[in-house]
Amino acid sequence: MKILFFGSLTDIIGVADLCLNGITDTDALQQFLKAQYPMLSSAKYFIAVNQKMISANTPLKTSDTVALMPPFSGG
Amino acid sequence: MSEKKIRNIFYQGPIPADKIAADLQQHASNTDIGAHSIFIGQVRADQKETDSVAAIEYTAYPEMALEKMAEIRADLFIRYPLTCMHVHHSLGRVNIGEICLFVFVSSKHRKAAMDACEAMVEAIKKELPIWGKEICSNDAEYWKQNK
Repeated sequence: MKILFFGSLTDIIGVADLCLNGITDTDALQQFLKAQYPMLSSAKYFIAVNQKMISANTPLKTSDTVALMPPFSGG
Repeated sequence: MSEKKIRNIFYQGPIPADKIAADLQQHASNTDIGAHSIFIGQVRADQKETDSVAAIEYTAYPEMALEKMAEIRADLFIRYPLTCMHVHHSLGRVNIGEICLFVFVSSKHRKAAMDACEAMVEAIKKELPIWGKEICSNDAEYWKQNK
């Protein structure tokens, strides 16, 4: 699946997107990313799966696109 | 006009001041309109720790932003009797004093245009996945935070 990072999160991850497989849900994804990128633990962000915001753990398929987005600051 | 249709709002670089006059002129032929309400956002030279802001660099999640924008727009057309509504938001670098946001709402009477324009600006800041990075003249960078 494709993982997209935006705003200040790109500074933490170092890239704007990653391709990951074998991760079954968004909780597992967050655990994996926080282990790889410890600074992510103190970052505030929202998660969208296929462009829809989620607020609870969500199952993931290989074809999904997950976005991690810090608070918006447009305008 | 209330259908949910995806339209682009993104403009590469600063929005030229001329565009505002040209867009206004284009609406002259629609004689049902009695009021335009316009919001223009300009990049401000905020003072930071060591220097002041020289520019803001905007990035977005365009697919999601445009989808969300279509929802917000459709909702405002239901809530207010509007004739039309146009939104332009910059991507990339916009220097201080340049225009980064242009919201243009038209209706028969003033109240609908004014209220919908304000609601749209608030929604853009709160709900669209867009991020601004403030860049100082000494190259220091700060991710912008909306108040």
